[in-house]
Amino acid sequence: MVLDKLCKRFGGVVAADEVSFNLSPARVHGLIGPNGSGKTTMLNLISGVTDMDAGKITLAGEDITHKPNYTRARRGIARTFQHPRLLKRCDIQSNLYLGIDLADKKGHVANPQDASLKEILAAAGLKLDLDESITTLSYGQQKLFEIVRALLTRPKVLLLDEPAAGLNSKEMEQVDALIGLAVRSNTAVLLVEHSMDLIMNICHTITVLNFGRKIAEGVPAEIQSNDAVIEAYLGRGRSA
Amino acid sequence: MIAKKKLIALLLLLAGLTLAALLPLGISNYMLRVIDMMLITYVCVLSLFVIFGMTGQMSFAQAGYWGLGAYITAILTTKFGVAPLLALLVSALGTGLFVALVGMALFRLHGHYFGFATIGVVMTLNGIFQNWTPVTGGANGIGNIPPFGIGEWHITSDLGYFYLLLFFAVAISLVTEWIHRSALGRSFMAIRDNEIAAKCMGVNSYFTKNVAYVISGVYCGIAGSLFAFLSSYTSATSFVFPQSVLYLVMLMLGGYNSLLGPIIGTVLLIMLPEWFRPLQEYILLVYGIGVILLMVVMPDGLIGGGKKLYACVVRKKCQPDDFDKSADNGIG
Repeated sequence: MVLDKLCKRFGGVVAADEVSFNLSPARVHGLIGPNGSGKTTMLNLISGVTDMDAGKITLAGEDITHKPNYTRARRGIARTFQHPRLLKRCDIQSNLYLGIDLADKKGHVANPQDASLKEILAAAGLKLDLDESITTLSYGQQKLFEIVRALLTRPKVLLLDEPAAGLNSKEMEQVDALIGLAVRSNTAVLLVEHSMDLIMNICHTITVLNFGRKIAEGVPAEIQSNDAVIEAYLGRGRSA
Repeated sequence: MIAKKKLIALLLLLAGLTLAALLPLGISNYMLRVIDMMLITYVCVLSLFVIFGMTGQMSFAQAGYWGLGAYITAILTTKFGVAPLLALLVSALGTGLFVALVGMALFRLHGHYFGFATIGVVMTLNGIFQNWTPVTGGANGIGNIPPFGIGEWHITSDLGYFYLLLFFAVAISLVTEWIHRSALGRSFMAIRDNEIAAKCMGVNSYFTKNVAYVISGVYCGIAGSLFAFLSSYTSATSFVFPQSVLYLVMLMLGGYNSLLGPIIGTVLLIMLPEWFRPLQEYILLVYGIGVILLMVVMPDGLIGGGKKLYACVVRKKCQPDDFDKSADNGIG
């Protein structure tokens, strides 16, 4: 997937200013930056929740810039939200099936290399009673469940919006395991996250945003020693 | 466990059907007419169950669509001598088509704005029914609608209509339950619970809302056509906004998480006034307070509230058992 010079303004605020980067299958790409730097906006632009002002998105050679978000979902872009968006009045089974329905719509043929439902649930550490209401799950479980639902759609691209925020350490390990599963099924993962441990450990490449601009891109080690990044996060030293 | 549940559900269904089929034995003609009307109302409440209960789109126009179905049948049978069965079919499809056009225009609106717009639809339809005299008969309505029948065979009694209406009510219930459990039903419920999440799961919400609305329109068209045959007369006074509100109250009273809700809600609101006839002057007061209390105490309706109560009682009794079960069924 190629993102080429995406732009978005909200009134006078520039949330995305010619941001470009690529996502590749079986790779985890981190997207970090201070609060308000436009990370969630990027996910909204890619998934089609927000229309963009300019730029071009290509998925597997196809230009999907002007496709509505449900079409993008059917082409293989799955996402989660900062606060889980599940079907609150439905039972767990319907919530799970919503993901499987989309895989069906894509005409997905069962592939032995794909992670099966059991494997996904085991990675998530979720023991589910299918007849129970989705609201019986804790906040952390709901966030994990949303990743499970996204994985069930057999995505080409998985967009994760702060999957570890508000989770305990055990649940964070499960997020890690789920991302590992996605990588093994050849999915390209875009990870927005504030937990630097998670980012630095599992990302192959990282893009850093500040005020809607890309200020750095590289492997974790490069990002950690990049002056512009340190400045964006910590501010400029007085002597500099 | 699941097989046992299914068996129980099947037995309950059979018992209910038998009971329903035997119901008309030994009741007055008046009561039979009330029950016939109840079955027609039930189909309209089911239409609201699809568009509001499942899809979350509040439509106040259902009574108008019901009227459209009735007028199509009335006009076709009295002015063009169309066979009843064909008139029923055209009513269903014609109303569905009309609702598709309305939906295509109005689903550009979201949430409450859609609901408000549908109030305009029912008022417009009623205005047309009342005033387009050459076609709808104006204030006089259309009379002398022939009875329902196929070929030489005609329904001649209220009892006959009872079985006809029961057949349609059961058939439409089964279709609705099938939709409820299908991928289509899940996409409806996804739109209701979280439209953005639904879209991100590949649901074309504009199109899917229209599908739900057309299904609800077809239900209303069938109900309207059957109403025209049953009463052999249609006039605009039945197809009004308050009738749509009544459907909503019935649905909310019963609850909209399962088909039992519309059944209980319709039966209660039709039968209560009959049972409490001596309290006639107070019935609206009782309604009003009842609805308020219900929304405060049981926002999921009688069925939802009953389920919660049942779960509470059962949990208390057999908590250790529950715990064992979840431990055994756990995955991994």
